[in-house]
Amino acid sequence: MTPPKARTYIDIHILQTVPPANLNRDDQGNPKDAYFGGVRRSRVSSQAWKRSTRTHFAERIPKQDLATRTRRISTALTERIVEGTDLETEAAARLAAALLAQLKISAGKKEGDTAYLFFYGRRQLDAVAALVRDRAVQLSELEDTELADEITKIPVREQFNAGHPMDVALFGRMVADIPALNVDAATQVAHALSTHAVELEFDYFTAVDDEQKEEETGAGMIGNIGFNSATLYRYATVGLHQLLHNLTDEEAAVTAVEEFVTSFARSMPTGYANSFAHRTLPSMVVVVVRTDQPVNLVSAFEEPVAASSGIAAASARNLAREHAKAVRAWGDTPEFTGLCHTFADSSDTAELLTSTFGETRAFPQLLSDLRVHLVDTLKQAAR
Amino acid sequence: MTSFQPESPSDGEAVLLLRLAGPIQAWGTRSAFNRRETGAEPTKSGVIGLLAAAAGLAREDPLDELLPLRLGIRVDQPGTLLRDYHTVSDYRGRPLPQAGVTAKGIQKPTSPVKLTHITTRYYLQDAIFLAAVAGPYGLLNTLDQAVRAPAFPLALGRRSCPPTQPVSLGLREATLEDALREERWQVSRQSGEQFAAQLGRDRQLDRPLYPARIDRSATLEDPDGDDVLHDAPVSFDPHLRTFTSRRVRHTWLSIPTSFPNPDDTTNGSDDEAGHDPFALLGW
Repeated sequence: MTPPKARTYIDIHILQTVPPANLNRDDQGNPKDAYFGGVRRSRVSSQAWKRSTRTHFAERIPKQDLATRTRRISTALTERIVEGTDLETEAAARLAAALLAQLKISAGKKEGDTAYLFFYGRRQLDAVAALVRDRAVQLSELEDTELADEITKIPVREQFNAGHPMDVALFGRMVADIPALNVDAATQVAHALSTHAVELEFDYFTAVDDEQKEEETGAGMIGNIGFNSATLYRYATVGLHQLLHNLTDEEAAVTAVEEFVTSFARSMPTGYANSFAHRTLPSMVVVVVRTDQPVNLVSAFEEPVAASSGIAAASARNLAREHAKAVRAWGDTPEFTGLCHTFADSSDTAELLTSTFGETRAFPQLLSDLRVHLVDTLKQAAR
Repeated sequence: MTSFQPESPSDGEAVLLLRLAGPIQAWGTRSAFNRRETGAEPTKSGVIGLLAAAAGLAREDPLDELLPLRLGIRVDQPGTLLRDYHTVSDYRGRPLPQAGVTAKGIQKPTSPVKLTHITTRYYLQDAIFLAAVAGPYGLLNTLDQAVRAPAFPLALGRRSCPPTQPVSLGLREATLEDALREERWQVSRQSGEQFAAQLGRDRQLDRPLYPARIDRSATLEDPDGDDVLHDAPVSFDPHLRTFTSRRVRHTWLSIPTSFPNPDDTTNGSDDEAGHDPFALLGW
């Protein structure tokens, strides 16, 4: 056993109030729930919120621009070809360039001159290198034109089409038959739970047939829709070290964290959306960067928040106290804490939040501050 | 893996105590395909997997050092069973892929086209366990550090079940059974109060009753045990996942409740109300 190495975890804590809704239902058609602290809570499963996060993510991430970062990808691919074969660097570089020609990349373009990143995953490069491993020497002896011809028969393009690498690096992929395609997810997402006790309610509805004949009475259809309303505690964590391992590229890893935080905070499952119009934004987002371990603060709500007044504000105060208690008890001060909330500025709640998590910032500001911190962290680690 | 032996006060055995608590947990023993079950208590493969994840082992890495560790589980709060209806589909609306691949190494879509898998996943909700892991002091000291600064996020049997803090309660120099017997009851203050109020009602008192000790069920690894569980891991390699059996014995332990001012008229051994006959069934 070796002693643990340095880690970087980005914890995301969100409190979000949902009006009467049924955004994640079971096979009975009722909203999911769970018991915690001895009382029933509203629950939204991690898989449901991950799906909306990924959908949101896919809508926002631009289509890959393959014409950037070619030098980096060529270098990375060259290294991998050298590792597995008897080729010298020069010959391997020529082979890598030929392989990447299939992606219609013009080699040697200046870096950083476009707004897009070309994300590639470590496993994808490994897969491309594996395609030529057995015949690398034979291929490198060919003339340029012959080589180009031979390379067109190798399915390089397809390797890069097997899912968006950034999405896969964050959320993982499990393919039973092919270990090469498996990627361990860098994120962990908990089931969202209400901070207070919740009862299931039913909306009895009747649907009237507008074309009904005079002599017929009664409804065309009757039924029940189960629903509830809740202030949810949502938690996710991203392992930056795992993300870096999956993506190989530091800038891509930082961007992936930023995109994940954005999509996780802004997305919402859409179940029964047209009947309930339940889309809301979080009342509070706290991003905590830690070098020890992820810390889920759901224990703040094991004793359910009383429904007397202001559940969201009371939940926020409990969360702040739990965080402060955890830092005090274990002595692990986070590297970075970012707060964005919508409670009234002068309230006791806002004061407590500020004294615990620092000044509140607008969400875009929070993201850019997080980016600055993570880039710094990676720079420090590289030294 | 390289052996890592720090200075130890004694070359002997030690016990690492882990508090396994969170809103939901899932400890599968016999799960396959679309029905993912959970046992009533944490499994050995689950706990060893948690320690391996903390130490940063890859799935394919050998578990040599971890396999001889002995496990004891104490049920502080049994929790109840939660059935989760879980559908799987591609968020882009494409047909689901199958495990087979084309000649080009790309996953083939299901044929006939399948857009949704329906799976059922069981969880334990609102449960709290105390796990004790016995083994060489040096190794457990390293694992203790690893659990406090894990390489992978820790999970209670399934990735969507993050634990609440603290997970590690540190090392004890005691036997497996003594370590589990002497650690205080791990329930929340509120659950403790509810228990005391119920106990008072059961005894026809008009006040809560605070016993100094109560009985809780435990499962201890024991070569002479009378029960066999098939949950000891051999390898977590996705292509060679194998398990073996281990002998255990089930017992009751009289444990300290840590109520501030206990009524010393009762103790765990003759405290009938502290005995929950359903705990063994895991309900």
